[in-house]
Order: sequence, then C-alpha cells, then structure tokens
Amino acid sequence: MNTINKYIEVSELPHRADHLWRYTPWKKVHPTGKVKDVPKEVKGPKIRLLNLSGTESPPGIELIRGVGEDIRLPESDDVSTNFIKSISEDSKWILKTESKFNSNEPILIEIDAVDEINGIQLTLDIGDRCEFEIVTIIKGSTNWMGLLRTGRIGNGSNINDITVGLQERGTLLRVDAISLGRDAEFRTGTVSSGSERTKADLRYRMGEIGSNLRVIGSILSRDSMHLDHHIEIQHDAPQTFSRLSWNAACGGKSKTIGTGMLKVANGSKGADASQNFHNLLLSKDAEADGIPELEVLENEVVGCGHGIANGPIDENQLFYLHARGFSPMDAKSALIAAFLNSTLSKMGSMKVHDWLSKMLYSELKNMNAE
Amino acid sequence: MESKTPLLEIVNLHAGIEDNKILNGINIEIGPGEIHAIMGRNGSGKTTTANIIMGHPDFDIEEGKINLNGINLLELEPWERAKNGVFLSFQYPQAVPGLQVGNFLKKSVASIRGADAAKGVNFRGLLKDSMKELNMPSSFLSRYVNDGFSGGEKKRFEILQMMLLQPKLAILDETDSGLDIDGIKTVATGINSAIRGTDSGALIITHYSRILDHVKPDKIHVLIDGKIVATGDASLANDLEENGYDWLENKIKSEGEV
Repeated sequence: MNTINKYIEVSELPHRADHLWRYTPWKKVHPTGKVKDVPKEVKGPKIRLLNLSGTESPPGIELIRGVGEDIRLPESDDVSTNFIKSISEDSKWILKTESKFNSNEPILIEIDAVDEINGIQLTLDIGDRCEFEIVTIIKGSTNWMGLLRTGRIGNGSNINDITVGLQERGTLLRVDAISLGRDAEFRTGTVSSGSERTKADLRYRMGEIGSNLRVIGSILSRDSMHLDHHIEIQHDAPQTFSRLSWNAACGGKSKTIGTGMLKVANGSKGADASQNFHNLLLSKDAEADGIPELEVLENEVVGCGHGIANGPIDENQLFYLHARGFSPMDAKSALIAAFLNSTLSKMGSMKVHDWLSKMLYSELKNMNAE
Repeated sequence: MESKTPLLEIVNLHAGIEDNKILNGINIEIGPGEIHAIMGRNGSGKTTTANIIMGHPDFDIEEGKINLNGINLLELEPWERAKNGVFLSFQYPQAVPGLQVGNFLKKSVASIRGADAAKGVNFRGLLKDSMKELNMPSSFLSRYVNDGFSGGEKKRFEILQMMLLQPKLAILDETDSGLDIDGIKTVATGINSAIRGTDSGALIITHYSRILDHVKPDKIHVLIDGKIVATGDASLANDLEENGYDWLENKIKSEGEV
C-alpha cells in the first residue's frame, strides 16, 4: 500500500477525545481542511547543512537523500505521520554521522519553505559515541509546512538538538519520533515564535538502559497565533531518565497548548521522570493550557512527577525592575525574555545560547503583547 | 538668611493599604550628605514608609507630601522616581530567574544614569572596584538576579546596585537583617562609600544598633504605630537596644515628646 492510500485509510481516525487532537483538531491543521485531500505536486523545501557560524560543516556529518534504516521508533500518530509521508515522497533526507563524530562548532540545518505547501522527511542516523549540537531552523513564507523527523541517537552519544520555528505565516505540522540508544544523552529543545498555527507531536522513546532525555520548550506566541505542542516520553527500559520543562509566553489573542504524556512501561525499574509546564499570560485575551498526564506501569521508579503553573507577570518582579529605572515596556520585555531564557539557557552551550538569545530578543521586539 | 532645600522632605504623611491605615502623620527631613535611621517594632510602618517613597502601587496616600530636592515624588511613577535618584534596597529582593546579573546591571545603570554610564572603561572599572569592595566574585555577573542567592548575597547585591546607580537618596530596608558580623561591616563600608562626602543621603531602616555603629547616622527616628515618637542622635539606638521600646513609650508618657 502506498503512503497516500495509507493516509486515506486513517484520515478520518482522529477524534477530539484523543489526547493528541483535543485542542487542535486535524481538520484545522490539514492544508485544505478537507481531511481526505492529499495535495499533489508538493515540493520539498530547500535544505542545507552548515555550521551555525555560516561556514562549511565539518567532515563526519552529512545530509543525504534517502530513507533511514527501519528501527523501532516511538509509537506515533498514524494520521500526521502518514500525511507528511504522503506529500513528501520526493523530499526524504538522512542526517548521518560517523561513529564518534565530535564537533565544538554547532551545526545548522536550514529549512527554507517558500512554496504554498511543503513537506519533508528527515531521518536522524546518529552514530555511537557522538558529541555535537545541532540547530534546525524552519523558515520561509510557505502557507503550510510538514516536517517529519524520525531516527535514533546512537549508544553513548551526547547530542543537543534545537528546533527553531520561524516560519513567517501559515501552518507548521511537526512530528518527531526518535529513539535513544543505550546510555545516550539527548537534549531536545523547541523554540517557537513563528507560524500562525503550529501542531507538534513530539515523541521520544528510551528503549535501552541508561538513556537520558531532556525536552525543553521556549514558546512565544503573539497576535492570534495558535501553538499546540504534544510531548510524549516513553520509558521502555530500566535506569532511564527524563525531564520535560516547557515555558510558554502568550500575548495578544494567541493560544498556546502544551500536552504531555509520560509513559513508564512495566519493567522500567529505576526510571526517573518529571514534566513541568509553565505559562506566562501577557494579555487578558491570551489563553494557555498545560495538561500533563502520567501512565506509570512500573512500581520501582525513582520518581514520576508533573506540575503546571499559569499566571500573569509577577507584580513584585515588575516593581523591582521599576525601582531600578526600567520603564513599564522595558520591564515587561525583560521579564518575558527572562522567563523564556530560563528554559532557553538549558538547551545547549553558551555559543548556542547566545545565538538563540539574539534571535529571541529580535522576536520580542516584534511582539505586540499589549 | 539663606534657607537650604532639604534632600528629602516628608511632611505629615498619612497612608495605608486598602482600609488599613498604617502611617499616621510622618515628618522627616534629611539634608544632603546626611544619614538617618528609622527604628521601630515589627508592623510599626517602617517598610511601608520605604515602599511609599519608592512609589509602590499598592499603597494609598491620604495626605501629606514627599519631596526630593524640591521635586514632588508623589506625582512620579516608581521608574521616574528611580531616574530622579531614589534607590530602595529591598528587605526581600525579588528573584528574576533567566535575567542575568550583568545584563540587569547594565540596563539599570543605562536607564538611571544614561547609556554612556553603562559602557566603556569607566563602567567596567566602577563595577570591578565595587564588587571587590563587597567581596563579590566576578562569576556573580553570570548568575540570574537573586535566583538561588543566599541571604547575604542578596543584601550585598542590593548594595552593589546602590554603588553603581549612585542615587541621591538611598533607602535601605533592613539591609543588615540576616547578615553575619563581617557582612554587616562590608555592607556598612558600601553605604559609607556611597553616601559620605557626597550630596546624597540615606535612610536606614533597621532593628539593630550594630550596623549603626559602623555607619554612625546623623539622626535616629523611632516609629511606633505609624508615627515618629522620638528623634535623637546615634546614642538613641543603644538606649533602645538596652531598654526596649516599652521604656521609650513609658518615658514619652511621663515626659511628653522626647
């Protein structure tokens, strides 16, 4: 069965009662709103690999056309996965590294989507004992962009991975289905301040002993944006560790949603997991939801916790900055930046952090949070 | 005879929060280069006085005036008061996770003293010297504002800000609370170096005479139930420490105003 038929078979499936689709139904994400439609002649976006500094990427890492090996990925959603596959047959890429690939210079993948509808599949084939940072930027003026990332982080590898959504308008559908190898450390960050509508289904599976995962979000929504991120973390092996820290600042008439699903399978002894959502409401018309859920089937765990906090800017913090000469606008901007920076600073090295901070401050300048 | 404009003039200040009246007619006048102290029991209105001078929005002013160098502070917003030279060292400084100390200091100095004061060799020199005087390591600059600071670090950071911002009026709200003996000396050194020999002034709010031994205030005011009931020289702090506030109240009853 080809990918189009696979998608059509499941296209009517998502129900609003489903945790994933509760806050942004599939028909609102679909490019035409008619869920049986599979757009034809969809072009792949431009993609290139380089260093974050703009120089050529080092040997040992390459971006090649093709599909990765068949490995056990996290259970993913059939609808969004098959839809992106059905429209991106001609845009399949593999990010491949040699074993022990190491780079002090952060790597950049730039995805520039300019056509009406774009779709791309990217397989991460990260070798064993690699150590590097990678930033993926999604930009461009496309009206609809789908990015499916699948793959595996090799045994003992230590990777900082940051995806930055800077699409100028339209909808972004993002699906991650990534497995972590034995003793792999994977830190995956999401910085989102672009696209009018984002639906992200981010799933990570720790199926081998000793893997360590941190999922971090710095989300800035403004105007009438609708940003919905679902993060699912699956502990399928003993001695696995995960932390989810998700900060969203929500201004204008925008809406942000963060749903978390933490699954600890039977047999995952010594699992240590927690998820925290923190929403900062910047205007009376802004709306933010954070819904963490746990499904723990193993008794012998170190801990499995979750928390959520929603609120406006702290009046005491505002007064403190006012007393130090910050004007109301400067104080508000500084506190929003600080809020987002508290997760941004956990995503990577100082070099990556400086780069992300500059990008974030420039986005904040454009923000109309009144 | 030429009359000198006081640095700070508080006249008949009545204020409260919601329906709770806290200050019942406070009068204080601080001249340029003077350091005054306010002492009083918990709940007597000391912190309220400090917050009202800084312009905290929660308090309502019923009556009275507060002038700084002849400027009516009650007409100004808190950030405008800061730009006019009012500095409050907070009793409980706010943590701002994610806001780096170095960036915060630069922005604050630029807002209050102008952009030129926050850059170049002069700023870096003043920052380095002030941190050295307060025994603060340079790694402090990359931490987040008051986030995870110990009690002593928070107080020293408030004094560092005072030294960099060079205010006309520094209000120090229990800056000595929670500090060890060396910390009090360090903070007192910072206060003396920022105020003595300048046209600036300071109002120190404290429960203890120890910091006053190092700072040697020109006047001490005692606040009871939102009213200044006694004003004296530095020896008043020692009398209070020895005899307590009951002694002062009994003395006032028997002798009238001190």
